[in-house]
Amino acid sequence: MAAVTDQMASGLPAIRRTPKGTFDLVFRNASFLAALFVLVLLAGIIGAMVAGGWPAFREFGFGFLTSSVWDTQNEQYGAFPAIVGTLSTALIALVVGVPLSLGIAVFLTQLAPPWFKRPVSTAIELLAAVPSIIYGMWGLFVFVPLFAAYVQIPLSNIVEGMPIVGTVLYSRSPSGLGILTAGIILAFMIIPFIASITRDMLEQIPSVLRESAYGIGATTWEVVRHVLVPQAGVSIIGAIMLGLGRALGETMAVTFVVGNANRLSASVMDPGSTIASRIANEFNEALGLQLHALIALGCILFFVTFVVLVIARILVARVKSF
Amino acid sequence: MLSTLELSPQVLDAQAPIRIAVKNLDFYYGEHKALKNVNLSFRDRHVTALIGPSGCGKSTLLRIFNRIYSLYPEQRATGEVLLDGRNVISNDVDVNELRSRIGMVFQKPTPFPMSIYDNVAFGIRLYEKPPKSELDDRVEGALRRSALWDEVKDKLKSSGMGLSGGQQQRLCIARTIAQKPEVILFDEPTSALDPISTGKIEDLLEQLKTDFTIVIVTHNMQQAARVSQYTAFMYLGEVVEFDATNTIFMNPNKKQTQDYVTGRFG
Amino acid sequence: MNLTPPSASAAPAMVMTPEGPWGRVRPARRNADRLMKIIATAFTLVAITVLFWILGMLVVKGIGGLSAGTFTQITPGPGTEGGGLAGTYLAEYGRGSKLANLIRFINDILLSAPSILIGLFVYVILVEPFRGYSGWAGGVALGIIAIPVIVRTTEDMLRLVPAPLREAGSALGAPPSVVITAITWRAAKSGMVTGILLALARIAGETAPLLFTALNNNFWFSPTLVGGVSNLPVTIYQFASAPYENWQQLAWAGSLIITVSILLLSLIARRIVRGGK
Repeated sequence: MAAVTDQMASGLPAIRRTPKGTFDLVFRNASFLAALFVLVLLAGIIGAMVAGGWPAFREFGFGFLTSSVWDTQNEQYGAFPAIVGTLSTALIALVVGVPLSLGIAVFLTQLAPPWFKRPVSTAIELLAAVPSIIYGMWGLFVFVPLFAAYVQIPLSNIVEGMPIVGTVLYSRSPSGLGILTAGIILAFMIIPFIASITRDMLEQIPSVLRESAYGIGATTWEVVRHVLVPQAGVSIIGAIMLGLGRALGETMAVTFVVGNANRLSASVMDPGSTIASRIANEFNEALGLQLHALIALGCILFFVTFVVLVIARILVARVKSF
Repeated sequence: MLSTLELSPQVLDAQAPIRIAVKNLDFYYGEHKALKNVNLSFRDRHVTALIGPSGCGKSTLLRIFNRIYSLYPEQRATGEVLLDGRNVISNDVDVNELRSRIGMVFQKPTPFPMSIYDNVAFGIRLYEKPPKSELDDRVEGALRRSALWDEVKDKLKSSGMGLSGGQQQRLCIARTIAQKPEVILFDEPTSALDPISTGKIEDLLEQLKTDFTIVIVTHNMQQAARVSQYTAFMYLGEVVEFDATNTIFMNPNKKQTQDYVTGRFG
Repeated sequence: MNLTPPSASAAPAMVMTPEGPWGRVRPARRNADRLMKIIATAFTLVAITVLFWILGMLVVKGIGGLSAGTFTQITPGPGTEGGGLAGTYLAEYGRGSKLANLIRFINDILLSAPSILIGLFVYVILVEPFRGYSGWAGGVALGIIAIPVIVRTTEDMLRLVPAPLREAGSALGAPPSVVITAITWRAAKSGMVTGILLALARIAGETAPLLFTALNNNFWFSPTLVGGVSNLPVTIYQFASAPYENWQQLAWAGSLIITVSILLLSLIARRIVRGGK
């Protein structure tokens, strides 16, 4: 074997220049640090939020969550109306947006002729690309007047004096602004997310499953209802949670149309405010404790959306792997 | 089956030195043991074919020689693969240098997303900094050797992705030989090609063996018979029989080999 | 169900129910199916109507004021390279590692985190300590919003590069950094550009984080970016909420510009993705 090695050595090409290992190491570490930065970012956001809101939490304690007072003169702040506003607008957005999104997903995957599918898909996805401030302006200048004239005023006349609906749907000042309006605008903003994820999930289902259901004579509706939706079930919930995460934190569109009232009202037709709209409205003039109270509001929003998004990602990821 | 095999005129040099010696080699994909106690030797400037049914471990074996398996953390090998007496699967081997000495051509053509010229010069530039004129000569030489020069000499600056499948594969061969390796590994190099391109590649193999030690994995027995001087038949991760190609195809010792080369299984 | 073996002659076997071979689908089933189809189609129409309504509104109201305003915008610098490198790590080095999975998960969460929170974050770490709104702070906020988008698309696009291409690079003796920079990045180039375009589209319309960071200065663009700079989204917000007719006109023009450019960016990005696959 030694002889072999010698003989071969004479036939070797010129000594090879080994590429420098330093660049390799630097590159690897740089990319690793860049990836770690994502974690640092999250930690930084949590830290900054908690630190910035800490004076407010310390001052008001648990009462910050339950108090409805927002009084800049006497430096008394409570998050309750904003939290309720955030949750109720998001809930309305889901109630309106989810059926629309599912309908769109079914249309795109089951009903649309192939030539029609791509432009419609693109149009739906473009709804997500429209800046939120534009939704706000559309809401304020176009939707709000129509909503006031054709929904709020007639509806208030009908429900006035009725139990429960007379409270929930009655508008004291039918301006068109309010929690319900914000919820409807939000619904259109979350539709592209829910609809396109659901569409992708429905398309991932192997076509043999669909074909065998059609093969025993099921109608399109029955195939969707009994085969496709159960199969994609968990991930559709994940998609809805993603939409919820977006609805909770959406700022500019809501700020335009929610009415920005600091008090709590039992009617969804009345103006209210959400955490994000309150921050956007007051932040630039806020001083001292008010500023900390606003950051504390942001902190609450962060933890709520964080939990929602974590659940959403887990649900979406679980189904992708099956 | 036997009658349809055309065996190449076999010029065996039994005195040729052994370039690669494999001793007691085991290989694992995670928990799964894919190669069991493989012992083989590859003679200098000869073509050795690895044949066997799908999943028998022939490609796995090939991918050990240049440590390409090391890209995947869950894969590991134990035993010895001696290249000129040095165990290449030990950790102290510089894998990059090893791979510059052992070239590899893959099943599907893998042109890089750059010009034809840059594709061929890629491997040279990694290890040497020759002056422009010398680099040009090396690129031209490699393209001539791989019988591609006449087809691409007027479009060296255009993308390598624009060539046909067979041309792309010859480009990959040019890229490999431009680096002046000592051994070239071919992993089913013609399975994605049409018969005419396949013929060109087989002709190339015949010429390349005057300068390089060649190991080729193929599932095509006629191809193994045409191009190789030695053949190893593998089955279920083990080498069943290893001998001169003529012996394997005309007069195998084992019943299993006989069954496989006559098309009774696999 | 009356199953007949394939050998039996077909004609008599077709008669399976008293009503004959057709009409076995109950009307209720057929109506439910029809209703569902109508609803699904109608819902799609509603969504498309809203899109075109918004676009139409912008064109009608904005086209008149187009000549009036000149606007400046901040672009993200640091986000692009960092995001690209992080995506590279996840796709090339971090396959199967637990840390990489965690980073990927967190990145997905940041991807959909409310942008107003990013604005607050930058306010707390940059604006408050240095006592002043600045274009830099706005740029950092937008950069942070861009990072997750770029990380995600970079990783997705690098994963589309076939493994044999990387192996072929390694088989020539190229170290990992060379394989990545000279081969995989090149192969995924169009996809990575798409990521940057998508990130641009995302941040171009961002208003909320700029409210607390860049604030707005619609009279002066300071080249040092200190002391607040003018930017389109916040200008639109302020002008749209102002009571003056001509200010609102400007806001509409700005909205038209920004929406059209973002939609174009998105369409181009989509084109590239489709071409790349």
